[in-house]
Amino acid sequence: MIQNPLRRRKDLHFQRSYPASLDAVWSAWTDADQLRQWWGPEKTTIDECEVDLRVGGRLRVVTVATEEMGKYAGTRWPMEGTFTHVEAPRHLAYDARSWTEGEEESATIHHTNDLTLTGDGTSTTVTLHVAITEIGPKAKMAAFGMKWGYKAQLDALEQLLGGA
Amino acid sequence: MQATVFHALGEPSRLRIVELLRSRPFAVSEIAETLDIRQPQVSKHLKVLAESGLVRVEPRARQRIYHLEAEPFDEIARWAESFEHLWATRLDSLGDFLRPDETKEQPS
Repeated sequence: MIQNPLRRRKDLHFQRSYPASLDAVWSAWTDADQLRQWWGPEKTTIDECEVDLRVGGRLRVVTVATEEMGKYAGTRWPMEGTFTHVEAPRHLAYDARSWTEGEEESATIHHTNDLTLTGDGTSTTVTLHVAITEIGPKAKMAAFGMKWGYKAQLDALEQLLGGA
Repeated sequence: MQATVFHALGEPSRLRIVELLRSRPFAVSEIAETLDIRQPQVSKHLKVLAESGLVRVEPRARQRIYHLEAEPFDEIARWAESFEHLWATRLDSLGDFLRPDETKEQPS
């Protein structure tokens, strides 16, 4: 119970299948114009999206809270990374940092991201491994993370209640 | 609450104290000895940790024994979990984006 948060590293694993071709999923992840259409959660917009798709190339996405986010409106959350592996259309990896703008010193999360795509032409499985390797010490970070957490939980609840 | 917890853990000596207390409760003098930190410093750090709810003191005879409190750590764990939810919703959005009628790709 108390061991977990004191570990410097947190690993997240996800696997999803989509009714789309490998190439469609690959370009959704690697084409800046497509990426910005799905990357940000609800009530956010993507203000900047740059993808320099090569090993050593830069990835930069800035998510901005819209008015609908109330007191968070206008808050900018940049994510900046470097590609460490680019092998179209199956394998993509990047090391990145995410933070709340204006609080980069204290509010930065370092993470590595590893994406593998497998498919049979009509369906593609996305396997994503995110390792959070370092978390900034300040509380604003907590607000940042918890905001999403609550939001996602409320969405899930809404779906559960309204989904029948 | 969050602010004080992260502030308390953000100092290297305090983090060492917390890590030490994971194994078992310790008296102030034992902490000082084990970590080679002067006792007045240890007391100062413990005060900060106690104010943030990370440790609690139990007087035992002439000693003050310090324990970790689970609650703030649970909260940190829940906070870290929230990143998982962020990714889960993002992958849902990718699914919406890839829905055949919304992409240029024809399904077959």
